[in-house]
Amino acid sequence: MSELMTLARKELLDVRRDRVVWIVMAALGIAIVLSVVVASLDFRAQMADYNAYVAQVKASGSGVTPQAPQLFPLQLLRGGMEYVEVLGALFAVVLGYGSVAKERARGTVDLLLTRARSGMSILGGKLLGLGIVWAVVSLALVVVSLASVAVIGAAHIGLHEVARMLLAGAAAWVYVMFWTAIALALTTVTKHSTPALFGLLVAWLVVVLIIPQIGDTMDPDNQVPGGLFNALAIAKPDEQAVLAHFTSFESGRNALEVSSVSKLYERVTFALLGIKNTYTGQSLAFVWDGTFRNIYGAVGATLAAFALAIGAGRRVHTLRRSA
Amino acid sequence: MSGVLTAARHELLTSARAKSPYMLVAAFLGMVAASTFIGWRTTVTVSAIYDRVVADGLTTQPNPFTDVSALYYVRNTVIYVLLIGSLMAAALGVQSALRDRKASTAALVLTRPVSERAVRAGRLLGIGAILAILVVVTSVVTWVSVGAIVGHALTATQTLEVASFGALTWVLLMGFAAVGVASGMVFPRERTALLAPVVLWAVIAFVIPQLGTAARPVSLLNPVPLPAQGSGAFGWLSQIMAPFSITEHFKTASAALLESPYTGSAVASAAVVALFTLIALAAALVVRAARIEGGSHE
Amino acid sequence: MTTTAIGTHLLTHRYGSHAALSDLTLDIREGEIFGLLGHNGAGKTTTVSVLTTLLRPSEGTATVAGYDVKREPRKVRAAIGYLPENVTFYNDLTTAENLSFFAELSGLRKPGARISEVLEFVGFTGHDRERVGTFSKGMRQRVGLAQALLHRPEVLFLDEPTSGLDPEGVRALRELIVRINDEWGTTIFMNTHLLSEVTKTCTSIGILRSGRLVHHGSLADTVGAFPTDDALERAYFASAESDAA
Repeated sequence: MSELMTLARKELLDVRRDRVVWIVMAALGIAIVLSVVVASLDFRAQMADYNAYVAQVKASGSGVTPQAPQLFPLQLLRGGMEYVEVLGALFAVVLGYGSVAKERARGTVDLLLTRARSGMSILGGKLLGLGIVWAVVSLALVVVSLASVAVIGAAHIGLHEVARMLLAGAAAWVYVMFWTAIALALTTVTKHSTPALFGLLVAWLVVVLIIPQIGDTMDPDNQVPGGLFNALAIAKPDEQAVLAHFTSFESGRNALEVSSVSKLYERVTFALLGIKNTYTGQSLAFVWDGTFRNIYGAVGATLAAFALAIGAGRRVHTLRRSA
Repeated sequence: MSGVLTAARHELLTSARAKSPYMLVAAFLGMVAASTFIGWRTTVTVSAIYDRVVADGLTTQPNPFTDVSALYYVRNTVIYVLLIGSLMAAALGVQSALRDRKASTAALVLTRPVSERAVRAGRLLGIGAILAILVVVTSVVTWVSVGAIVGHALTATQTLEVASFGALTWVLLMGFAAVGVASGMVFPRERTALLAPVVLWAVIAFVIPQLGTAARPVSLLNPVPLPAQGSGAFGWLSQIMAPFSITEHFKTASAALLESPYTGSAVASAAVVALFTLIALAAALVVRAARIEGGSHE
Repeated sequence: MTTTAIGTHLLTHRYGSHAALSDLTLDIREGEIFGLLGHNGAGKTTTVSVLTTLLRPSEGTATVAGYDVKREPRKVRAAIGYLPENVTFYNDLTTAENLSFFAELSGLRKPGARISEVLEFVGFTGHDRERVGTFSKGMRQRVGLAQALLHRPEVLFLDEPTSGLDPEGVRALRELIVRINDEWGTTIFMNTHLLSEVTKTCTSIGILRSGRLVHHGSLADTVGAFPTDDALERAYFASAESDAA
């Protein structure tokens, strides 16, 4: 265990000295804050439109006023969570790749191999070290998210919001650790670092952007600006009744979506924070009922990635200069 | 001039021999080929949904997909150009800029009687040729696959539109390739050199349009261009951000060429994309390279 | 009366505030094989980098083949060949493809015949269709010498040319250097920290110590002062001691 901790501490030291890591983490924080600013401005614009509409209704002498738009503070984090989904995964890939590629570039793996018990413990140490880094970053993002919602969104943050945000932070940790572990594994088993980096970039594109994009673009409601059912003036219950006739198309689309760990992470986070309307204002038990399959899927994928990363330690000789 | 052509030929040869970017090229070509099918399958389903809605007497609105153009099937290609194509181009640019550093051949090139800028221009020309080949392949794939789905060859106008979309794609990809070259010049480490254009791409594709339209980042991956918000803070924000919203402009200009609905001026949008590429090319040519001589200096 | 092939006057190069090379004044005549000796970090590679136009001098002047390195860098480049220490190439390309690229950058049109000629000269035939990435250090060094000779340079710069080679490789390269000088009259500037290499190859030497030239003269004059087997070694350390004093 102490060997693992020594290797992990050395990883932490490397990360602390790496300016790129600090820059990308700051960029992620800024992107979250920025998206809360945009969401808050958008909500204020909606409120202004609503007030203008109410004034118009009153002036026309009608007594019926429509319901005011309601602010659910954590919904302001939708854009921020999407940034974690897209950029967080990219940065995790870069961090995991860099951790292994630097050993190859510096030719230091021989020194490690003559001291550590095995290649698997070297990879285990790296995984532990980066796990600690991401735990700290996830916690920092939770704080930044809550603070920006409270300050910019002028919303009250209670125990309820803190608890949900902490759970979302834990989900983010599981998600970025999936990518970190995949990057560690792939960079270790490939003979040269450059193809590994390209392979990881392609995997990131496919899993994070392309698969969810295909799912999204095949959504019948996304075919016209403003939504197909809106354009046809169809109410929600009727929409569901119509879609019931197209279950094979919809289940194909769903299968495609859940094959991406990013989509699993997105579904869990959106449910936890009440971003998806179905879960707005609902209890955690309700959220669990709706998303436990996605949670099992995401955690299972991350555990499998951990096993791959540690197993890749058997191939650690590929990092030697003479290899 | 001969130095430029020599460097261009060398770029073609070395890029063809380097296997790493092949994965991105394969992803790009594969998704472009698949996009027609995805577009067709979705359109067929949506039309069936409309028929069901009408049969159930739920709407009296006209079918938004009646008389939809054959080119509407390829609208997803626009997104794959933005998603995969631009990153592929940036990666090619980075690899080109870092090649001498990685192979430690910079001293051999720089002690030849040609200017470093001429070599850089030649390499950009070489990348341009590679991208042109890829664009021609994707245009042919698009033309054939749409023809196969609709059951007849595309008309002359539609063929011209596909070709124009190819040209616009090439212009955008050259811009990102130039960004990659500039990044490779400034950042000597491969990881940082590749990360920088990806982050810039994310800012252009997600952050800037989000500021102008209040859209959520991932929704920007829908091929339907988003209208700018006219009211409140978004009014002036979208005005300021409009010139930098390169990917949204590309979507608008592409929508016009592929007979899809769009708002705004397609010509102005195409001009913004071209301007971005010109600026990126200029940057790639003038940016000062980080120290090329590695190792200790006696 | 021969003319100056490489001349420097108070040549200085600084990295930030650190002067890697200070007030170097040299006169190397056409047809000489000049060996620049010095300890690790003495400033040898900096000197070659300035003379090959890879680095711009901070102060002073330098001419190579009659051209000023500051004002006429392109003409200097057209006149020189350069073999860096630990030369490497584009690993995915063959010998012929690598050499063809460098020949064309040097302005040679259709360089195929010239490539065959130099490969034969350096004793490296039969490998022109093989990828350079598979070559040993000795093989790369020969291709490196071939690329430096493609355009028949007037002045050839060699940076630690025998570094990392086995004894056979060292001897073969040494013989090649002498042949290039004999047959083509090429002036050769060679960096090294191996005293034995200088005695067997060079006609004149300079000794660099912490960026300063502490000795410059013909090999005969230098070793003449120490008529023993280890004459150059004694001269080298004597120059170091006098510099320290």
